[in-house]
Amino acid sequence: MELIIILTLNGVATGMLIFLIAAGLSLIFGLMDVLNFAHGALSMWGAYFGIWIYKGLEQFWLHQNPNLLEASWYPWLSMLNFIIGIVAGIFIGSILGLLMEKLLIQPVYGNHIQQILITMGAMLILAEMVKLFWGSNLISAPVPALLDGAWEIGNIVLIKYRITIIAIGLAILTFLLWILHKTKIGLIVRAGVQNKEMVQALGINVKKVFTLVFMLGAGLAALGGVLMAPFMNQVYPTMGLEKQLLAFIVVVIGGMGSVFGSAVAGVIVGITEAFMLYYVPDAALAVNFLLMALILLLRPSGLFGERG
Amino acid sequence: MNSLLSLKQIHTHIQQFHILQGVSLEIPVNQVTVLLGRNGAGKTTTLRTIMGLNKASSGSIYWDEEEITNLPTYEIAQKGIGYVPEDQGIFPLLTVEENMRIAIKDEKSKHTQENLEWILQTFSDLKRAWKKKGGNLSGGQKQMLSIARAFVNDNSLLLIDEPSKGLAPIMVQALIEAIHQIKEKTTVLLVEQNFYMASQVGNRFYILDDGKTIHQGNMQELIDDEHTKQKHLGIYKKNI
Amino acid sequence: MTNKKVGWLVLIIVGLLLPLFINNQAQLLLFTKIYILAVFAMSYDILLGYTGIISFGHVMFFGIGSYSVSLMLKHGGQSWLNIVIAIIIAIVLSAVISFIVGVLSLRLKSTYYAMITLAFAELFHILSLKWRSLTNGEDGFNFSKYIPDLLKDRLNFYYISLIFLIIIAYFLYRFVNSATGKVLVAIRENEQRAETLGYNILHYKLISSIVAGVVASLSGIMYAISYRYVGSASVFGIDKTIDALLMTIIGGVGTLFGPLLGSGIINIAHELLADLAKVHPIFERWLILFGILYVLIVMFFPKGIMGSLHKYRNSLPLFKIRKSKDG
Repeated sequence: MELIIILTLNGVATGMLIFLIAAGLSLIFGLMDVLNFAHGALSMWGAYFGIWIYKGLEQFWLHQNPNLLEASWYPWLSMLNFIIGIVAGIFIGSILGLLMEKLLIQPVYGNHIQQILITMGAMLILAEMVKLFWGSNLISAPVPALLDGAWEIGNIVLIKYRITIIAIGLAILTFLLWILHKTKIGLIVRAGVQNKEMVQALGINVKKVFTLVFMLGAGLAALGGVLMAPFMNQVYPTMGLEKQLLAFIVVVIGGMGSVFGSAVAGVIVGITEAFMLYYVPDAALAVNFLLMALILLLRPSGLFGERG
Repeated sequence: MNSLLSLKQIHTHIQQFHILQGVSLEIPVNQVTVLLGRNGAGKTTTLRTIMGLNKASSGSIYWDEEEITNLPTYEIAQKGIGYVPEDQGIFPLLTVEENMRIAIKDEKSKHTQENLEWILQTFSDLKRAWKKKGGNLSGGQKQMLSIARAFVNDNSLLLIDEPSKGLAPIMVQALIEAIHQIKEKTTVLLVEQNFYMASQVGNRFYILDDGKTIHQGNMQELIDDEHTKQKHLGIYKKNI
Repeated sequence: MTNKKVGWLVLIIVGLLLPLFINNQAQLLLFTKIYILAVFAMSYDILLGYTGIISFGHVMFFGIGSYSVSLMLKHGGQSWLNIVIAIIIAIVLSAVISFIVGVLSLRLKSTYYAMITLAFAELFHILSLKWRSLTNGEDGFNFSKYIPDLLKDRLNFYYISLIFLIIIAYFLYRFVNSATGKVLVAIRENEQRAETLGYNILHYKLISSIVAGVVASLSGIMYAISYRYVGSASVFGIDKTIDALLMTIIGGVGTLFGPLLGSGIINIAHELLADLAKVHPIFERWLILFGILYVLIVMFFPKGIMGSLHKYRNSLPLFKIRKSKDG
């Protein structure tokens, strides 16, 4: 029983991370009809850059004062460094997203073939650039002291970092849903996913919203990446493509254009992966892939798809 | 006669198909002009070209002396042209309220408030369905919503595409009344296959065939003109 | 047409005479590799350039070919018969898998198809990694001692690869100029229209997939023999798919010559830059340059093939074309 709870919580945590990456992908796909094949690279850049800043700051402070490690308030400094790292990651992700949208997506807007090929090219370039700056080997990503360790409730071991991720994921989900349902721009996005043309015919320049949504999606992916790094304890150059595959599965299952769908599907995929990794690790990806295939066959618009 | 909207020799291609082959219209202000013609004549494409949803390959469109040919759709809409497409363009997962809200430019303005009140009075059905999702409305309600939405912003011209399609006669009647009320306040370019409806609300008409404007005049004349009705509209019954 | 034929003739003559000017094995292997990967790229071009299908999983057929021949030889022992059997297995397997993947996914939007093929290839990759008993996982295995001596001679294999290239090129040339090939081009130009003309789109796309898959697996076989080694990363990894993309786009889509040119450019550049890498590590990331070149080409030179892939967004099919009598 405890095992099931632990696996489930792990799964939900993984799910929240995939949700962060998938939510942006889903919105962009739903609104702009663009499947960004470089989305995973944005996530990876968030991870690499964020962790680089985080570790850099840690080293900086320790260099200034080697005794810092013993200070009682050091964990808090560490936490601050981590938060700065997160912000840095989100920042780089958003900037890359902006550049990508303006330079690569807009020029070929409307032509699916060009757009698929170009975003794949962007994925290649971004992945190679990661290797250029940080090398091809994996880099360790530590969990900040304050979030390290676990709480024990009876026989159940709750890993602090994972609980934090779940909390952050839920907070972001709430925030996104609030924007979508309670603001004018959210209304425009939701309407745009359902019928872009009509939004234009109502006098609203949907294309301006595209850039914003793309940046938001990129920022979210980067956030997912930088949070994922300590979760996996490392960053490595192929994590972009790997996570993107999972994100895509989540987008299909959850429904294109639905943030809520991404969350639900994310949790489903996360839990499936958690359980599979424990019981039959080799088949983890295959099972999630099968789930996606099932949805495509039975209900192609996904669980909460806003479009047919 | 001062035209609010005029089209001069508009040609539109869709892929390799030459859909509009010379459409010229003069739409007078505060009247209902009806675009008639057989299926496939190019009526919907005409409206879409005006809105910029299809590109005109040649010719020009003037809005109150200003050329608007091939401007981006949202700019054309912002000039005060409202569009009610054939499929109503209702956002299915948004509520009636949200469908209206997205169309409203300035929620605080008194004028908008007045319009909204007028709409809720005229289309009382919408008031009742305020919180319902667009996809759950009946055909007639969707049509009302679509027209109401095009109207709430004080648009000076409404482009309405076959509103009576698929509606029960009693709804068509309600629609006719609604358009009568609307035409006091704005100008309408109406595409219709239903000649009864067209004759009830229209002041002037154009007939489109094979992508060209081939005939025009006052609606009253057309009603009595059996020959034209038969030849171009395929209408054989008398007094329809 | 005649210009092209002259071009190919020149190429063949150059190819036949090239070994006279090369004095080391490494360069011989380089050109062998260029020919083999050109075939791989040509098979990819059938999909992308001729039919307008984007697949990101093409490498899986390459890997199927490579593993078929290496496993067959390793477990069956050195013999020409085993090679023939491996070829048959590779052809059948790749045809079947092309068919299955195609039936399941070709109906979907091109973006979905691209992602799903990517996922399929990744599944194969993971399979080859995990099934250590069969494949020796990431480390792969060398099967040199099971390869007939005739094929191990570098010069011989150079000529065999060249002949392989010529035969496949000819076969594909006949294929794209056949009635079927012309339908594929029609689909690439305007799928909707081809459909209203009465063509069963799925059927033709499947044929295209199967031909492409089978040819890719053959190139995989040749590749494995030339390196005498198979490993998950090299034959099932996404790198080969990226290579196919780069070679086809940079060389020129929709022409059989383009992939050959692309293969030449990419592989020679790789060799040169790998040498330069010893001078400065930045050259290790040569892919970035090619990636940028690739993006620029996709964006600015959508002439011919690519330009006509543009699907008009505002089209309303107002007219239906009647089925023409000659189909």
